Amino acid sequence: MSVAELKERHMAATQTVNDLREKLKQKRLQLLDTDVAGYARSQGKTPVTFGPTDLVCCRILQGHTGKVYSLDWTPEKNRIVSASQDGRLIVWNALTSQKTHAIKLPCAWVMTCAFSPSGQSVACGGLDSACSIFNLNSPIDKDGNHPVSRMLSGHKGYVSSCQYVPDEDTHLITSSGDQTCVLWDITTGLRTSVFGGEFQSGHTADVLSVSISSSSPRLFVSGSCDTTARLWDTRVASRAQRTFHGHEGDVNTVKFFPDGNRFGTGSDDGTCRLFDIRTGHQLQVYYQPHGDSDIPHVTSMAFSISGRLLFVGYSNADCYVWDTLLAKVVLNLGAVQNSHEGRISCLGLSADGSALCTGSWDTNLKIWAFGGHRSVI
Amino acid sequence: MESSSASQEQNEVQTNLPSSVVRPVSRTGAPNNNHNNSNSNMVMGKHRLAAAIAALNQQIHIIQEELDQLDSCGEASLVCRELVSSVELIPDALLPVTRGPINVHLDRWFHGANDSRRNKRWI
Repeated sequence: MSVAELKERHMAATQTVNDLREKLKQKRLQLLDTDVAGYARSQGKTPVTFGPTDLVCCRILQGHTGKVYSLDWTPEKNRIVSASQDGRLIVWNALTSQKTHAIKLPCAWVMTCAFSPSGQSVACGGLDSACSIFNLNSPIDKDGNHPVSRMLSGHKGYVSSCQYVPDEDTHLITSSGDQTCVLWDITTGLRTSVFGGEFQSGHTADVLSVSISSSSPRLFVSGSCDTTARLWDTRVASRAQRTFHGHEGDVNTVKFFPDGNRFGTGSDDGTCRLFDIRTGHQLQVYYQPHGDSDIPHVTSMAFSISGRLLFVGYSNADCYVWDTLLAKVVLNLGAVQNSHEGRISCLGLSADGSALCTGSWDTNLKIWAFGGHRSVI
Repeated sequence: MESSSASQEQNEVQTNLPSSVVRPVSRTGAPNNNHNNSNSNMVMGKHRLAAAIAALNQQIHIIQEELDQLDSCGEASLVCRELVSSVELIPDALLPVTRGPINVHLDRWFHGANDSRRNKRWI
């Protein structure tokens, strides 16, 4: 077949894909008889209301000398690892605010970090296109540096996000600017599976974020500059289980909903969205119009342990607390006493749901918890 | 860095992609090292076109599958009902009103200087 004939076939196939996507979009719209907020209102639900001293900053973790880019809690409640523009990982005891480790990285351009499920290792990645593993119990070398215990190499672009597979210190998943996600076997340093890639029915632009389901750890979602989020089954690397359209800008962050059947996304288009993994429905859009012409980008997100609250960091230093059921902003942690002085780039909930940690371009991390009167029913 | 004809061929292969998609992202402002495989030889043009067509055909198959699944999918309201019910069953220490039990250890962030019991009201 000639190049000209192939090009014609390519154009025809492209047109078919576009037509089918439009048909799919219209069919989905017909099934969206309500969103979460509409349904919750119909059931008489009222928004969460916080008093001025309910959610408060109870710890400030100071020590980084550059912007904080990423943070992760341990499953055992009190420790956090953070990554910064200063080229270091710091491990904190969040309860005492003490630093237990300060790891100078071989490549200072770090973008992401993660704690292993056991709490014995940390991982990080960035513009070196690799994911480095550090064992926190290993002695430091003669230069006073923490040695890399394993280097996961193979990505052809920057590592934007990494997360250990729940309950497995031996496996983690990375996302990359090379348009793929990879499941790694840390013991061997080898790639177990590559999700996406050229002509592989995966993302068609940089992948910026991953989130693994804690209830079904073989499932993970990824968010990309191609404006979509994709659901993957680690047993099936050849194609995404489902692609979620809707956003109009880069999808910077994805996070599974606590029940494992939904996930949230946050984008440069200023919205967060909630999707259902089984039906593919877009259940809710979380967006607060601004008077300014520039729409702030969503940089980071986390759900409270029940899913009732959605914490969202934005590029303008706001940190909205959304009532996920009523789709209303109930608090702005960027406008309270002790708020950060710069963009919130990352945030995460402690494993027991008792505290939120925010990391900022102001070089600090802050811990937020509920200090007011709680009614337990 | 690309020859104009290779660049043109790359654009023709990716005609279905918006321009923002081919823009590499550098989140930290540092030099971007995202290497693009499509800078490879022009002699691969027919092969790459054929691979792109195969990928598009796979996408067609996937979208058609999804269209068929939607026939038995159910409306969003069913999912919303399930979501609202599940959220309200789970104790949440960050909420002012929540289902119990709430372990006192969840308030450890205020232990020490404060009496942990005086800030809570139990119904």
